[in-house]
Amino acid sequence: MVDLLFAITVGVLFSVGVFQMLRRDLIKAAMGFSILFTAINLYIIAVGAFDGNVPAYANQPEDSQSSDPLVQALILTAIVVSFGSYALLLSFVTTIARRFETLDSDEVNELVG
Amino acid sequence: MENNLLIIGVVFIPLAGAVLSLFARANNQAQRYIGFGAAALSWLWSLFLLVDVVDNGPQIYRLGDWQPPFGIVLVADSFSALFTVMASTVMMSGLLYAVNCRDKVVKNESFTALFLSMMVGLNGTFLTGDLFTMFVFIELLVIASVSLVAISDNRLGLEAAIKYIFISGIGTVFLLLGIASIYATFGTLNMADIAQQLSTGERPLLARAAAILLMAAFLLKSAVFPFHYWQPDFHTTAPTPVHAVLSSVVVKIGVYGIIRMTTLLFVEEAAQIRQWITILGVISIYFGSLGAFRTYDGKRMLAYSTFGQIGFILVAIGWGTPLAMVAAIVYAVNHAFIKSALLMLMGVVSSNTKEKTATLEKIVGVGTKIRYAWAVSLLWLLGGLALAGLPPMNGFISKLLLVRSGTEAEDWLVLGLVIAAGLITIMYMLRSWQTVFQTKPETFQVEFKKEGGDGILAPSFLIAICLGLGIYATPLFERAEATVEEITTPQIYIESVLPPELLLNPVADAPQEVQR
Repeated sequence: MVDLLFAITVGVLFSVGVFQMLRRDLIKAAMGFSILFTAINLYIIAVGAFDGNVPAYANQPEDSQSSDPLVQALILTAIVVSFGSYALLLSFVTTIARRFETLDSDEVNELVG
Repeated sequence: MENNLLIIGVVFIPLAGAVLSLFARANNQAQRYIGFGAAALSWLWSLFLLVDVVDNGPQIYRLGDWQPPFGIVLVADSFSALFTVMASTVMMSGLLYAVNCRDKVVKNESFTALFLSMMVGLNGTFLTGDLFTMFVFIELLVIASVSLVAISDNRLGLEAAIKYIFISGIGTVFLLLGIASIYATFGTLNMADIAQQLSTGERPLLARAAAILLMAAFLLKSAVFPFHYWQPDFHTTAPTPVHAVLSSVVVKIGVYGIIRMTTLLFVEEAAQIRQWITILGVISIYFGSLGAFRTYDGKRMLAYSTFGQIGFILVAIGWGTPLAMVAAIVYAVNHAFIKSALLMLMGVVSSNTKEKTATLEKIVGVGTKIRYAWAVSLLWLLGGLALAGLPPMNGFISKLLLVRSGTEAEDWLVLGLVIAAGLITIMYMLRSWQTVFQTKPETFQVEFKKEGGDGILAPSFLIAICLGLGIYATPLFERAEATVEEITTPQIYIESVLPPELLLNPVADAPQEVQR
């Protein structure tokens, strides 16, 4: 049941993220960037989080199976990395807003050729 | 196997240099010397590593002494070690150029730290034996390079940076999806472990999806045809030392990943992957070469040319015979030296003008009036010959190997297209040499700077390497041959990484013959 819920959530977040990223407004596109990474993080944790019924402890009770701790470590790293790029992206957006006085990505197109 | 400290040194020394340079914020000149020192030390370290790998076979370093496949492991086989030496050499020259550079960006207090972070990311990507760690190193590289382009002297750098950060975000999404799918299928992230589980012939649906996703991510990192549109913008607006590094070694990450995928991980699907790579390679060659021919800007011309040259490497990978793989590796290494040298020379010319322009119409004849004009002109001519693949430069060796492997593969159509594209390269290189260094206009379109331009020590060093590898190419060729022998037998890589009790095929068996 939770598996299905996760699958649907990941799918919806993916489509929302891609849609937002294709918008002309740079702020909305940046939000799409963040949503897309959230979708990926959910996908990674769905890979191994539902195998067990107890958290991964050193001395877990017998006749219990722990969930996979590695995926949790992986998304911690992935969250930090995506957070870093997101912060950098937002700082670029603010600088562009100041320099070009617009956030319409169609008007920020001085690079040609 | 014992932990080898040489491997961790190649990753750790630039990192330590980056931290150290942040402590010396008060003195900008000292910062750049620290950066160059750290890069030079790391370069020596990588040379020692290569010698060690040549003598003793693949070396590993287990981080925190955790056993693979649970712990993260850094692996240096011949292929990784060779690419690390290539990357370190160009990175060191980039910092050498920055020491004597007049751009405003090198005076930024975080320039050295960011540049060295790029070096950490690059060396780490080549050396890691763990897919997720590879993702982390690639992201480190992307964030550092995007920041460097955003603070570039060219005010359009910001626009290019925001374009690239979105596109590389998509690439990261592909990469992470592929890695997660592989983890879902095999429950491991260690490349050797994945390789031996894939070699059993088991192919769940997610593993095939992962192959396509990883392929897309690596093609995007290399700026191959359908994913190329960000590359000329992003590379052109970068500061000269950064541009020299981006266009020569950073794009080789994709090449490295594709070779690893077709020889180590997805060996059985390699034939299918190679067909596609050949087609994409030919299209890239023509897009890149023709783009370089018609563009208006010298730096942009070289960025487009990188796009074309990556196509040549991909065609060689696509042929897939052992000789063609040798050609691909030799081509990749030679191209790194040639392209970074040419970009630095273009930077020298444009830094002599007041507005730092490289627009070809405006810099007509500028090369005749700068300091050491004859030397810069000669170096540019030699670099142009190397890029076009004429003797006595190293480009000739790589083109020769490419043509020979083409005749061996008997793929006449592609071979003809490749040779024809080589002629376009000669045309645009000679044309630019003539415009910039040979024409003497009545009046110059640009004003010159009084204090002169950047130093030419770094490009001379790189051109000297190019000339040396052209006249005496045996060491590089033999190294590439040994590398191909090693990577076409994935069992060597697997056995050197995994402890014996985890091997599916015990060591006592004869090494498996791999289907090509």
